[in-house]
Amino acid sequence: MAVGLEHYLILSAVLFSIGLYGALAKRNAIIILMCIELMLNAVNIAMVAFSRYIVPLLLTGQVFVIFIMVVAAAEAAVGLAIIISIYRSRETIDATKIDLMKW
Amino acid sequence: MLANYGYIGLLLVVAIFFAVTTLLLPLFLRFIHIVPHKPNPIKSSTYECGMETIGKAWVQFNFRYYFYALMFIALDVLVVFLYPWAVELRKLGLFGFIGMLVFTFIIVVGYIYAWRKKVLEWK
Amino acid sequence: MNLELFLPELTLAAFAIIVILLDLVIQRKGWLVVVSLAGVVVAAGFTIIMWGGSSQAIFNNMLAVDNFALFFKLLFLAIAALVILASVDYVSKFTRFQGEYHALVLLSALGMMLMAATAELISIYIALELTSISLYVLVGFLKDPKSTEASLKYLLLGAVASAVLLFGMALVFGFTGKTQLGEIAQAIQALSLSGVLASPGLILGIVLMIAGFGFKIAAVPFHMWVPDVYEGAPTPITAYLSVASKAAGFAIILRVFYSAFGLPQWLSLDWGMLFAVLAAIGMTLGNVVAIPQTNIKRMLGYSSIAQAGYLMVGLATVGFSPAADIVGRSSLLFFLASYALTNLGAFTAIIAISNKLDSDLIQDYSGMGKRAPLLALALTLCLISLIGLPPAAGFMAKFYIFSGAVQHGLLWLVVIAVINSVISAYYYLRVVKVMWLGEPASEEKVPSSGALRLALSLSCLGVLLLGIIPGYIMKLAEVAAKMFVF
Repeated sequence: MAVGLEHYLILSAVLFSIGLYGALAKRNAIIILMCIELMLNAVNIAMVAFSRYIVPLLLTGQVFVIFIMVVAAAEAAVGLAIIISIYRSRETIDATKIDLMKW
Repeated sequence: MLANYGYIGLLLVVAIFFAVTTLLLPLFLRFIHIVPHKPNPIKSSTYECGMETIGKAWVQFNFRYYFYALMFIALDVLVVFLYPWAVELRKLGLFGFIGMLVFTFIIVVGYIYAWRKKVLEWK
Repeated sequence: MNLELFLPELTLAAFAIIVILLDLVIQRKGWLVVVSLAGVVVAAGFTIIMWGGSSQAIFNNMLAVDNFALFFKLLFLAIAALVILASVDYVSKFTRFQGEYHALVLLSALGMMLMAATAELISIYIALELTSISLYVLVGFLKDPKSTEASLKYLLLGAVASAVLLFGMALVFGFTGKTQLGEIAQAIQALSLSGVLASPGLILGIVLMIAGFGFKIAAVPFHMWVPDVYEGAPTPITAYLSVASKAAGFAIILRVFYSAFGLPQWLSLDWGMLFAVLAAIGMTLGNVVAIPQTNIKRMLGYSSIAQAGYLMVGLATVGFSPAADIVGRSSLLFFLASYALTNLGAFTAIIAISNKLDSDLIQDYSGMGKRAPLLALALTLCLISLIGLPPAAGFMAKFYIFSGAVQHGLLWLVVIAVINSVISAYYYLRVVKVMWLGEPASEEKVPSSGALRLALSLSCLGVLLLGIIPGYIMKLAEVAAKMFVF
């Protein structure tokens, strides 16, 4: 059986869903950040697969992926910095305990 | 197509076999009494490059490490943009070169900022 | 390559870098305000010179330089200038990081300007993230736990939203093979689909993109972050978020949906309907939940969710009207301009009052009419504009947007919107009542600095002008509604 576009897309959709579940259900802020990274990488897989199978002569999808990676790194850096500053002020990164403001 | 995966499967089997054997070999050697079993405190202590160990493994790291890590995360990925430009250096010509100069200048501004804010110093 | 068409953005980027470098060497931080304002003014000058010209595109059709983009660029620059003015007092209280504050405000304004101009999925994503990442940092600028908490919530939810948006973009790219909006439109028409079920993958992509953009504009199922972030962020940044970031979101939605998904007709009717439903839910939820709030920043947060609902009535009109009709777009642009001035005015007044009181509770505003009559008058004007009563700008804005919707058969939506406006009058007028009829807690006057007074009087003047002689701005909005067609 040959590996086709649909296999990559299924892989990407599964990874994306795992990431989304983790981002919504996990309590540790760093794990949430990792799950978001998982979602972005799922998108990267879909992009590269589409690019390879739909427009094999162009590199649009690959270029898009490079940009996503760089922006994701910047986002992760800012996220970690914010998590450090939260940890400094309240000694926890449990997302369920970061609840000064509700409703 | 599937035959290609056969090789990967073969590699997997070999890898698992190798890992399991090397783990089980000492136990086996001890079992047939080739290796003596005489533990003492110095023998069973943690081995760390010949030095005596200091403290526990679960210490809190200095905050400074995180700053270095953050700097690294933010700036190292940018190298990825240099590769496509380097491959097509001739075709992109002067405009591409100036564009890359501007790009590197902005990154250097980031470094200057970090340097002046004393992120690179260990205090 | 027409680099001169890119001058406003280049200027702003250069000034942001200059501010960062200048901050490292000079001791008197007051100059940073001057330099950032100069950057905004120069960029605005370049933008005004280009206004009215014919539409063009640069960088292989990645960036459109049309009146639509220029209108939004001017709007963002005006907002950035007012925010910088309004935060002079606020920032001078910081002992550190004043330069970073101004540089980040400039950089996020740059991101928003790019958001209004981009016509290509990759650059849309980058512009969006440039704006968002700067704002994540700005929201967490204060050292108190509320601010960092707001920042973390904003970052985590924003990152999830942009991942969802990207997945949508990946699907749209996969089903059309293009990333440039005009080419996407051609590819979709070439597919000659018959209905929603003809290409579920493409539709899924479009829906996911709505979800991602919906986060930026605080549309209802994606609004969770709004009240918390508005409450926790530094007040000038709350003002900035509530107007500029929202306007940028609407700019990008208008461009993407108008130029990429505008045809075939059934597709635009479908997303128009989707926005109409989101609008109805958004208005109702925002207004009802705003009623019991005790913190004025939080109340304005829910109010901004409701205002996003009114704005989405305009989006629905765009979806329902034929592509050549500009009523939906021009009324949306007018609403955004008037909403920006109104909300900036309200928040500037709140900054001035909370500088003195150190509190954002509505009950502490008691007797403000006696302690600071001018501030209270300005806040009253802005709240009246938010309700949508004459003579303020909000009245004309709502009038235009609702009459456009009625023309295109969205009467049911307008009925819901009008009922909601009546509900909203209750909680806005409660603040007015507390200010003018309540007993003052002390006789002390509320002082305010010159920059703050300038920002406040500029926005109030704008609110009045747009309310009394709306024709001129409406003409500008009509010119701006003619978008670049690829």
